Amino acid sequence: MNLFSFDFIKTTFSNIKSNKQLFSLSVATNFIAFTVLGIFFLLFVNLDILFSSWDKHIQVIVYLDDKISNSNKKKIELLFNSNDKIDSTIFVSRDQAWESFRGKFSSKSNFVTSLNFNPLPDSYTLRFASGPDRLINIRNFSEKIKNENGVESVEYGEKWISRFEQFMIFLRGFILVFGVVLFSGMILIISNTIKLSIYSRKDEIDLMTLLGATNQYIKVPLLLEGILQGVSGSLLALVSVKFIHLYIVFWFQGSLESVFRGLELQYLTKPIIFSVISTGIIVGVLGSSISANQFLHRHNSE
Amino acid sequence: MIKVFNLYKSYGGIAPVLSDISFDIQDGEFVFLTGQSGAGKTTLFKVLFGWEKFDRGQILVGGINVGKLNEKNLYQLRRKVGFVFQDYKLLMKKTVFENVAFAQQIVGANMKTVRTKTWNALKNVGLVKKKDSYPSQLSGGEQQRVSIARAIVNDPELILADEPTGNLDSEISKEIFALFEKINQQGKTIIIATHSAEILRKKERRHLLLKRGKLLQS
Repeated sequence: MNLFSFDFIKTTFSNIKSNKQLFSLSVATNFIAFTVLGIFFLLFVNLDILFSSWDKHIQVIVYLDDKISNSNKKKIELLFNSNDKIDSTIFVSRDQAWESFRGKFSSKSNFVTSLNFNPLPDSYTLRFASGPDRLINIRNFSEKIKNENGVESVEYGEKWISRFEQFMIFLRGFILVFGVVLFSGMILIISNTIKLSIYSRKDEIDLMTLLGATNQYIKVPLLLEGILQGVSGSLLALVSVKFIHLYIVFWFQGSLESVFRGLELQYLTKPIIFSVISTGIIVGVLGSSISANQFLHRHNSE
Repeated sequence: MIKVFNLYKSYGGIAPVLSDISFDIQDGEFVFLTGQSGAGKTTLFKVLFGWEKFDRGQILVGGINVGKLNEKNLYQLRRKVGFVFQDYKLLMKKTVFENVAFAQQIVGANMKTVRTKTWNALKNVGLVKKKDSYPSQLSGGEQQRVSIARAIVNDPELILADEPTGNLDSEISKEIFALFEKINQQGKTIIIATHSAEILRKKERRHLLLKRGKLLQS
């Protein structure tokens, strides 16, 4: 008989029917746990979008000396092009810089309009590939480039980038630890519910083993029951997180947009939805296997 | 059918529950296992059935070396043996028919076979009319008949009956023993554990006598 044979499915539903309360209780506890996980993912997805937009603003500006020779300029450009850690290089001429500066600040200060010369130098705006070594790459490159002839100064906001990178490392670690704790908790819940389910039908399962049922025959319906508990809990949680998402969008989208510069609150991405449901299946399989194996092992080694 | 050599079993106490037991039972034999309460009859049955482990010795049941079985292939032995329990072990939420059919379902029989074999087993024990009743609606004798029907429905080679009449009056006990004789005539090997002196007097059958874990007569 295969895993999804009619007999196994029938037995699984008959077991659920005879233990309705216990099954509902397990689905409810899983639903709560998965909802917490879902809300956490909702936060994560949106923080990730927010941080990705911040990430794009991490840049290095290399200011050039007004008297830089063409050969030095070419040498510097060659250094940019030969560095594979640099994603993009934009040359900003002193006229472009002054235009942009005046556009931003002329309405705020008379000083800008009263200046009758351009104090800004030519510059290069560099964007480095994101990754765990980005800050080190930026720092090393800046140290190297600032001593080149024709370079006036290099700016990249080291402290800010450093804090940002540290925060991202912390966030990833936190997600991992939180995920492991939640995952273990859910396995424990399902495992204990299946254990209760087994003990409530102990006589029947005892009799099955005495009449010659294989371990597989006893385990598969319990496994399916665990999977159903996990999947039902996760699906209900995804629906509830969708409602929470809609609620926040309906009432708070305006405030979020103004606080986080145009952030549009997103629902969970497809890979995350898939992961939540897969986690439901994995938690169900692990939880029920642990209890079924413990019971059968104890029973057979009496 | 059964070969037992120098079997020892203890529960950790000073005296073993079964001590140096050896005997042979041929195919189609009808044997009584007798002895006072605590002599080791149930323990011997449990060991033969793979329900409990033993310390030393060899047991062969229908060609299966019981000592070599692990929890994954124990079912092979259980399918060769029909066990009749003193306390019947019926599922109270299932009807008579469902209780007997249960033994067929768990070995993976198809629906048609389940129906046919269950019907035949109930006919064999004379309970066709009660097929839709629940165990709580039956007398003790009838419940034991259901238990016997369940033990024979998978057509095992050997039937072990542990005090099958222990909870029944003498008239009903006679009926139950008559039923076992009928099953024996169909070619099944039967071992009945009993301490009923009356039954032993009337039935001239081979019997194994256990006393304090030792086999005095085989």
